[in-house]
Amino acid sequence: MATKEEALQYIKTLAEQKVISKEELDAAFNSGNRIKTDIVLTKKLGIAEILYYIGGAIVFLGISILLWQNWSMFGFGTKVLATLGSGIAAYFVGLLFSRDENTEAAGSAFHLIFGLVTPIGLWVVFDNAGFDASSYGSQSLISGIMLGACLLSLFVFRKNIFTLFSILFSTWLFFSLTSWMIGRGSYFYDWKFYQYRILVAAIAYILLGHAFSKNERAPLQGFLYGFGIFGFLGTAFMLGYKNIFWELIYPGLVFGTLFLSVHIKSKAFLTWGTLFLMAYILKITSRYFSSGLGWPLALVIAGLSMIGIGYMFLSLKKKYLSV
Amino acid sequence: MEFIKKNITLVFGISIPILMILFVAGSIYLPGLFIRPHFNFLYVSNNDSYYYNHNNGYEYAVQSNRLVRSEMRQPENQNYNPPQVELKLYVYDVVENKAKEISFADAQNLNLDSNVISPDDFEIVYGSRGDSSFPFFWGGRTDYNTRYLKGHNVSKKLNLQLNGSSHYNNFRFIGWIK
Repeated sequence: MATKEEALQYIKTLAEQKVISKEELDAAFNSGNRIKTDIVLTKKLGIAEILYYIGGAIVFLGISILLWQNWSMFGFGTKVLATLGSGIAAYFVGLLFSRDENTEAAGSAFHLIFGLVTPIGLWVVFDNAGFDASSYGSQSLISGIMLGACLLSLFVFRKNIFTLFSILFSTWLFFSLTSWMIGRGSYFYDWKFYQYRILVAAIAYILLGHAFSKNERAPLQGFLYGFGIFGFLGTAFMLGYKNIFWELIYPGLVFGTLFLSVHIKSKAFLTWGTLFLMAYILKITSRYFSSGLGWPLALVIAGLSMIGIGYMFLSLKKKYLSV
Repeated sequence: MEFIKKNITLVFGISIPILMILFVAGSIYLPGLFIRPHFNFLYVSNNDSYYYNHNNGYEYAVQSNRLVRSEMRQPENQNYNPPQVELKLYVYDVVENKAKEISFADAQNLNLDSNVISPDDFEIVYGSRGDSSFPFFWGGRTDYNTRYLKGHNVSKKLNLQLNGSSHYNNFRFIGWIK
């Protein structure tokens, strides 16, 4: 058994040789120190896992259709049992399955059912209590309750499915709460306000994706980067139609995205950056060049630009993002 | 502090939406503390919006800053006998935020401005609410059951007294009281 000094000296040597990173050392220390790390889907989803999740989604669809078809026939108790009851039951079944490594993925599928079905159950309760359950105020409460439940579960059980649902419910809360606040009057109440909120949510997704890229939540990175950059570039593109500021900075944003795609090694950034660059070229061709050059020539220039962008996409992917 | 340093992007990612919520809350609630509407207004409410335009009753208007009333007579029709519609006039107190019924004789003494926008730049608008297709595809739509006094980045919900059950169209603004 090596002494403490010998072990530290050995780590020093390994670090000098760049054989071991600080993160790996931290993980090893935490593991030895019995610090609870998140139970995550570190391996890629297999067929069985995908089927589990599809099954969970189908159960959700079944419950929704059952409720929709028999809304007037079911009493309050039946409705609550079918929705809130199923959601809570799915939550505990998920917990039981998560205790065994062999049934852990099935446990996550049951937590998926919990996350999808429970909000409908809360909606039924709010509706029966005489609230306008579809109003922004009720939606804020429902999303807030679900966010609280998911954050608490994440804190206790450290499962990645709760991280995903925490992000989804906090997004819902963000939109419904801001809509509820402005619902008092009609200031901000137009598409522009929606677009700026999407922009903020998209930036938050990208930052969360980056924060998760180096820890146990890395499997969520693709989802967060994908939706984040799509929301960000899509909204900036739409804002450019009405606002000269966004029109002017848009090329910078697209090229910045392409540059970042190499830096952070993200295929989502490269793909959406390329697609939105193409969309931008089509937009400026139709807006500014179709009348001067004429449509046929403008189309030729746009087409050639597309080919160039496509080539750039493939080259960047091959050179920097291929494993 | 150590946690924030290590997770700076996570902290920024969570802070940005929270800051936007605070910004929206501030821009909605703060101006209301300093800017208040000053002009009361007169309105008329009937007990059914449909019959308002199809009855034998009165129509109100503002002429030379005074309230005038003219009689409406529908052409005689044996197959259609509209019921008698009761119209009520109300003065809305913007400071107290409540409406009070007023007689036509008293209302005639008021100095009225029939412009849609008040002299201090406020107007009456419908509210807005979430869409009913919970929780998917929800968006905003006009809420015809609520009305707001809006101006200078401030909006204030009106507690209108309406004559009848329908809120949709049984409110007719007549004029601002100067």
